[in-house]
Amino acid sequence: MHGNTPITGLKPKDYKTGIKPVWCPGCGDFSVLSAVTKALAHLALPHQNVAMISGIGCSSRLPAYTSVYGFHGVHGRALALASGLKAARPDLTVLVAGGDGDGFSIGGNHFLHACRRNMDMTYIVMDNEVYGMTKGQASPTTAPDWTQSKLTPHGPGVPQFIPAAIALVSGATFIARGFTGNPNGLTKLLVEAIEHPGFSFVQALSPCPTYRPEHKAWKKQVRPVEEEATSDPIIAAQRIQTDDGMSTGVLYQTTVPVWQPEQGISADTGQLEEVFFV
Amino acid sequence: MTAIPNLIIETLPEFLLHAITLERESVERYEELGDSMEVHNNPQIAAVFRKLARYGELHANEIEQHATGLELPRIPPWDFKWTTPESPETGDMEQLHYLMTQGQALIFALHNETQGRDFYAHVAATSTNQEVRELAAEFAEEETDHMNWLNAWIRNLADPDSVSPEDLDPPNVTE
Amino acid sequence: MTNHNTVLTCSTLSVAITGSGGSGVVTTGQMLLKAIANAGYYGLMARSAGPQIRGGESAVMLRLGSEPVDCLDDRFDVLMALDWLNVSRFAEEIPLTASSLIICDPDAGEMPEAIACHGARSLELPLKKLSGAIDGGRINMIALGVLAELLGLPETSILTVVETALAPKGREIVDASRLCISRGYSTEKNAGLEQTLTPVASPAKRWNISGNEASGLGAIRGGVRFVAAYPITPASEILEWLAPSLEKVGGSLLQAEDELASINMIIGGSFGGVPSLTATSGPGLSLMMEGLGLAVTSETPVVVTNVMRGGPSTGIPTKSEQSDLNIALYGFHGDAPHLVLGALNIRDCTFVTDWGVRLAEQFQTVAIILSDQSQGQARSVIDPPPMAPACKGRRTARPDTQEYRRYALTEDGISPMAIPGTSGGAYTADGLEHNEKGTPSSMSLDHQQQLDKRLGKLTGLDPTENWAESRGSGKIAIITWGSSSGAAFEAGRRLEAGGQSARVIAVRLLCPLPGTLMTASLEGVDRILVVEQNHGGQFFHYLRALNLLPDNAEMLARPGPLPIRPGEIMARVSEWS
Repeated sequence: MHGNTPITGLKPKDYKTGIKPVWCPGCGDFSVLSAVTKALAHLALPHQNVAMISGIGCSSRLPAYTSVYGFHGVHGRALALASGLKAARPDLTVLVAGGDGDGFSIGGNHFLHACRRNMDMTYIVMDNEVYGMTKGQASPTTAPDWTQSKLTPHGPGVPQFIPAAIALVSGATFIARGFTGNPNGLTKLLVEAIEHPGFSFVQALSPCPTYRPEHKAWKKQVRPVEEEATSDPIIAAQRIQTDDGMSTGVLYQTTVPVWQPEQGISADTGQLEEVFFV
Repeated sequence: MTAIPNLIIETLPEFLLHAITLERESVERYEELGDSMEVHNNPQIAAVFRKLARYGELHANEIEQHATGLELPRIPPWDFKWTTPESPETGDMEQLHYLMTQGQALIFALHNETQGRDFYAHVAATSTNQEVRELAAEFAEEETDHMNWLNAWIRNLADPDSVSPEDLDPPNVTE
Repeated sequence: MTNHNTVLTCSTLSVAITGSGGSGVVTTGQMLLKAIANAGYYGLMARSAGPQIRGGESAVMLRLGSEPVDCLDDRFDVLMALDWLNVSRFAEEIPLTASSLIICDPDAGEMPEAIACHGARSLELPLKKLSGAIDGGRINMIALGVLAELLGLPETSILTVVETALAPKGREIVDASRLCISRGYSTEKNAGLEQTLTPVASPAKRWNISGNEASGLGAIRGGVRFVAAYPITPASEILEWLAPSLEKVGGSLLQAEDELASINMIIGGSFGGVPSLTATSGPGLSLMMEGLGLAVTSETPVVVTNVMRGGPSTGIPTKSEQSDLNIALYGFHGDAPHLVLGALNIRDCTFVTDWGVRLAEQFQTVAIILSDQSQGQARSVIDPPPMAPACKGRRTARPDTQEYRRYALTEDGISPMAIPGTSGGAYTADGLEHNEKGTPSSMSLDHQQQLDKRLGKLTGLDPTENWAESRGSGKIAIITWGSSSGAAFEAGRRLEAGGQSARVIAVRLLCPLPGTLMTASLEGVDRILVVEQNHGGQFFHYLRALNLLPDNAEMLARPGPLPIRPGEIMARVSEWS
């Protein structure tokens, strides 16, 4: 294992900007920041060749805290912005960060199509089952009987969105689940996700100490997936649908061609104009 | 102490890399917590974490001196032989609260030092390398000193068992 | 053969061709346009269709001229009806007069009242029988021969066009079509045109291009190499042209899942340093507004070509209207200075898009380019369009700039943009208000400074002489924008020919509109008519808000789908005398 590690003088801290996060103390997102910077240091990726794209929400603050290129865009559109960047600049390592509301509710459509498009990028969703920046409303991953939001006093009453299952049927080629209580395990998943050619999706269970204090129990509920990652979508579907969403590790990985536009020059503008001549 | 087979550290460079990483990650975490407490307007606890970071820094420098002239291995974060999910002195994030008291902060730190001590003790008991065992025992001893120092600090607090006060304000709506 | 000896000449002729869908109306129109272009004439061809995807009914409206043609005329000289099925749908789009000539097949049944009511002359030809007599013969090819002959085009020129266009379909079809054309030429016609086109000198190098193709070309000329877009009528042809063209010049096009994606995708592409554009129409533009605000705030240059259609909501997707000026100007929340430009005609689609891209790049902001269905989906024979004025290009940060600040307050308000890949330039672009470094800030000073910066940088924009196209002189001014310009210029010409001079000002740079230049160009004017194709007088009220209109200024604002015609403008101005 040691021999595989690139020789580098870069430390995780070198990938932090030093801007003080606004996250609540105890927030799982700190561990994601730690895992992301560890992964970048491990891969020894030059700062200028990495872009971290996000939307809006607690977790979407991540780009400001990492010292790579970043874009803190609008709510729900991180994957779209990242897809445009990757299409225009295939040489960059593109990471996308966001939360469950940003990614699965307002950005749900982009999630489907980013999975389907299979561009070579990594999407990290910090799933805390709640909207943290707008006062703790239910998100798509909130349990139907969670009654703590004034907006849904009887609970959202609708089944939870299962991110891994949606990713699978939408065509994602790498699906993993991590837990912020195990940042080094999460780092490993992120490294694998970044190295995976194609769209890699990492759901990071990230407790919200403010709105979901009961998430402290997650620590006892999470466990490593029992089986090796499968490349069979039927097996993956069965595993994903039958577990309780607390198993961590790579859930599915397969290799299919990555979508990337062709880029080569075969004509100049003048030649394009020739077709218009009468 | 029972040895966990794949957590046995066999060489001095490997051990020193663990020790340095333990201390550096601890310092980094305390700095981060200091920042976080500052952001959340808890300057007293921010100061506690800063102080812990400073001590950690000194300790890390000491350990790094042991490594002078040695070529340390490069180990991916997930292949470190910790007995804890993260390195032992980074703490349990869930115990944090922005209104945490000095007592709570020091107990958090004590927990870190205890885990650090346990790690070194584990190495001292299980390593196949004599030199590593001796150095680990020495470091475990130092961690014990830190624990004693923290315990004394805690005892001197007016109200060591105080818990976070009730939050009189609702959470903010930020975006 | 028709006897042309007694026929007068004129500078333009208008021909409409109608028929049920599938009868080849559009093909006929396109071939006729090519043939007249080969003969050295200019031309414009608009299309109209029913709501069906296939079949239904179809019309093409051509105006052919010895000089550039930028609008449809007040009436049609010729209506070629391949059949009468559902033709009434187009009656209001094809104004006829007693001197118009209607060519129809007596076997197609009785002429509908909506057409017959004009008392136009008619030329009855057995189109169906003629085509039926030829193996593989088609009515539309007979009609093409008839029209070409009436217009005085040499038979060889139309045969060449048909040969080229149909070659891929095989020899048999080409031969059958050639026979049809010849039959159309030679068939006895008991009526002809009262006027024919002024002969022109040997043809210059001209283009045959649609407005949407012209917009696509403008994008590439301006430097666009990344496009993301979602299909929408009537903008899709821009994308269809750009997709293969971008590939050839080292760029790419990404079909997005929706317009929310497409606008954000081009922000991503542009953030990556590649000039980026999307094309859409009103509903899509509405969806893009949040993203456009992000581009303004994050100072990421992007260009949106908005091909307007009847609105609001789904409105009239296949017909034109100039009713998206308000959203283009004011659709943003917050104070969001940006650029809005409007294409005056098909040829101008290239120029304006080219210019808009260059300006957006230089000023690191949003440019919305307004075109509309009447330009986008129409074809025109034009002189090759000019290049846009050179601009300074995007100001980028050098590698390893000390203390790099993405949103640094500079003298001209433009700050160097670090393109990913530039060492030492990593920063986070943000839609949150930010300080000079890009760190989110809700401080009043940062907000004020960044707002000032984003507004102030546009004051450095040189409107050049291209901000508007101004023609004529006199105490009457007609101010217009976009596709209404063609009708306004023609009205100005006709007024002048009638001894009532008027100056026509067609504005290209709609925002920021150079008020001083506008005021100067209105010097000595005592009556102003603002002409535009929308219901509320959006441009009129905008000019009012900018305090550029005297109290007695009036508006001629009428919604689509019918185009503004020169006669309408003249009628309005003549009320003043």
